[in-house]
Amino acid sequence: MFLKSLKRTLGAALVATLGLGTAVYAEYPEKPITLVIPLGAGGSHDLNARVITSIIPTYLNQAMIVRLSPGAGGQKGTQEVANAAADGYTLLFSHNYIDMLQQHVENLPYDPNADFVPVARVNYAPIAVVVRGDSEYNSFDELIAAAKANPGGIDMAHSGNWGALFVPAAQIMKATDSTFNLVPFQGGGPAMQALLSGDADVTMGFPSTLSSLVSSGKVKVLATAGDERIYDDVPSFAEVGIGGDVGFMHRVVLAPAGTPDDVLAKLGEAFTALQEDKTYNRMMGRLGENTDYIGGDKYQMMRADQNGAYKELVADIAK
Amino acid sequence: MIEQFAEGALMAFRFDTLLMIAVGLFSGMLVGALPGFTTLMAMAILLPLSFFLDPLVGIPFLLGVYKGGIFGGSIPAILVSMPGTGAAVATSIDGYKLTQKGESRKALDMALFASVIGDTFSDIFTIVMIFPIALLVMQFGPPELFAVLLMSLVIIVSTSASNPLKGMVMMLFGLWLAQIGTDPIGGVERFTFGIFELKSGIPLLPMLIGVFALPEMVYAVMRSQKAQDFAKLVGHRLTRAEFNRCIPTIRRSTFIGTVIGIVPGLGQVVAAMMGYSAAKNASTHPETFGEGEVEGVAAAEAANNAVNGPTLVPLLTLGIPGDNVTAILLGAFVAQGLRPGPQLFEEQGTIVFGILVAMVLANLMFIVIGYLSIPFFARIVTIKTGLLVPIVIMFAFAGAYVFRSDTTDILMLVGFGLFGLLARAARFDVMPMVMGFILGGPLEYAFGQTVAMAGNTPFNFMFTERLGMVAVLIATPIIGYTLWRRMKSATV
Repeated sequence: MFLKSLKRTLGAALVATLGLGTAVYAEYPEKPITLVIPLGAGGSHDLNARVITSIIPTYLNQAMIVRLSPGAGGQKGTQEVANAAADGYTLLFSHNYIDMLQQHVENLPYDPNADFVPVARVNYAPIAVVVRGDSEYNSFDELIAAAKANPGGIDMAHSGNWGALFVPAAQIMKATDSTFNLVPFQGGGPAMQALLSGDADVTMGFPSTLSSLVSSGKVKVLATAGDERIYDDVPSFAEVGIGGDVGFMHRVVLAPAGTPDDVLAKLGEAFTALQEDKTYNRMMGRLGENTDYIGGDKYQMMRADQNGAYKELVADIAK
Repeated sequence: MIEQFAEGALMAFRFDTLLMIAVGLFSGMLVGALPGFTTLMAMAILLPLSFFLDPLVGIPFLLGVYKGGIFGGSIPAILVSMPGTGAAVATSIDGYKLTQKGESRKALDMALFASVIGDTFSDIFTIVMIFPIALLVMQFGPPELFAVLLMSLVIIVSTSASNPLKGMVMMLFGLWLAQIGTDPIGGVERFTFGIFELKSGIPLLPMLIGVFALPEMVYAVMRSQKAQDFAKLVGHRLTRAEFNRCIPTIRRSTFIGTVIGIVPGLGQVVAAMMGYSAAKNASTHPETFGEGEVEGVAAAEAANNAVNGPTLVPLLTLGIPGDNVTAILLGAFVAQGLRPGPQLFEEQGTIVFGILVAMVLANLMFIVIGYLSIPFFARIVTIKTGLLVPIVIMFAFAGAYVFRSDTTDILMLVGFGLFGLLARAARFDVMPMVMGFILGGPLEYAFGQTVAMAGNTPFNFMFTERLGMVAVLIATPIIGYTLWRRMKSATV
């Protein structure tokens, strides 16, 4: 009697295990996916992720859960995903500076090149160089000329070393052979406030957060990242002689290396479908973000370029 | 402008607006009361919900969550000495003593009334004075922040600790603990001994729970060999006479909190401690503070809630979020097509005034919701010690873990718990250490910024070009007065 029931239980357990095993392989995703953000609450990654995770379940048939894991400049959350099982159930929502730059300025407990594969570049935020509305600098060239005439005499507010405002500033300094005095602030908001109050002479900001300050004349935009103009009367970086992948914060979803190809394909499909979704586009539009998607394979090549460019930049700054 | 205000004010009196405020307040209170779950997390999770609601429903709802959450944090601080945020630390000093005396209900009532009054007056002040405040905010940069933080630390150490020398030792220890991890400006690792877990620094929550709650639980177990109950009674509600006695304190703390809210980057922790210190100094019976003085609860709670109004000013007038809570609110505004910034009041004045009036209504509604909920919360402490202590310890461990989902934090919690017990046995007050730890980071950051801004002549820059000198001039008489009082009371 006892043996019989034991046999039955074991049999059932075996069937269940096998069944589950095949199901995981055949029908990813079988359970909710965790999206780790290595940054704090309320930032632009958090807001973007809230929009993504409220819509992507339509295409994955599973929930995607945001887990914030800030600390050590993004390394804490990144390490968690690097150590997670490569089964597609733990993903990282990061950006290019954490992803590709940090390896050149710190000893990381993971190798970003070997430990991750990109799933999708969800969108990007181009940087704008801004000064106060009453500033004496009326063009990017005037600003650079002043910085060359008085090296280190112009205060540039940024959001923390090797962050999203610091790196473009360093890249501009390198490209134009000029020197600014880089003053750190705890985030882009405080940096902008420092500009407005006169504590800094120049800073950077994303157009999505600038519209009201620009239209009221509180700040002037001198140049924006990329080849194309964002504001009709403001030159792009390409026009002022700064070429390449400079001043873009790429918001990117990464998976641990070794994630099966079919899982990556499934995720890729879902993120591609997301770009066509009307609600997704409307909500991103309201946040002032674009929905300019790049697939994982193509972004992998951009990562390699970033790696080289950042390595050179860091070596140059350290000199 | 007046017309827009009147129109907006009327729009706030909608059934669905009021209902969602109530939902927000209640859920915020519950989340805030659970250690480890912060109001910030609750707001981030509920943010997408507000995308799909009318602006006059969605944003007041988030504001409700925020306000409910701040009060919620004072519930475990008062009942079981478990402050879940830095802002609730000052509340727990006298709040928990009142619980031990069997007067938890009175403490919770006082916390509620002081919070709501502090918040309401600072909100009204902010609405009326929003543009002058916006100009004033611009006067504070890193050098001023540094001076004010330094002054705050001196005031805390000179008033809060029973022994100034021991207080100083503990504060320096706290400042040292704040240095552990990656240097926020230079990116250099300090005191991490190559341990990756220490790279992001010591987390605040395990420290708070460890040094405040765990030792109290150990002492409760030791006490209960004689008495079966954790706290025998919940006591009576706050009386009118007790409330009237606290009115000057609430008024003072509201003023202090509002002023501190204007200085960007300071916030609730500083306000609560300053309000508490000021009340203790102004009192004719400072010796009752720290021994279960209901005025102490009032002082801390009025001050930390009065910060809320002015912190919204940079968000509304410039579109700049000063902290994470306002960053989430910015997201909610933007998703509704409202662009906070210089033209917000011209373009969307009616809706914005509607939201601001709804914010004041939220305060008034919270008096009712809070007052009705308090008896339920207060009864928690009548549970037998043998049952309550394990429950509290379970929540302590769960809270420490949930905050960052990191097992290292459990070790930190145990470590700080042991440290708290040792400090208590040696009669060292842990409060200055916690304050040194919380303010050490911002202090160092502001100093680094000041040096970066000053270039080669930091001393000149600090004292001739900036407001720093003014702060020092204000601080000196305050410190002098405090020390004089202390010496006088010591000789009596």
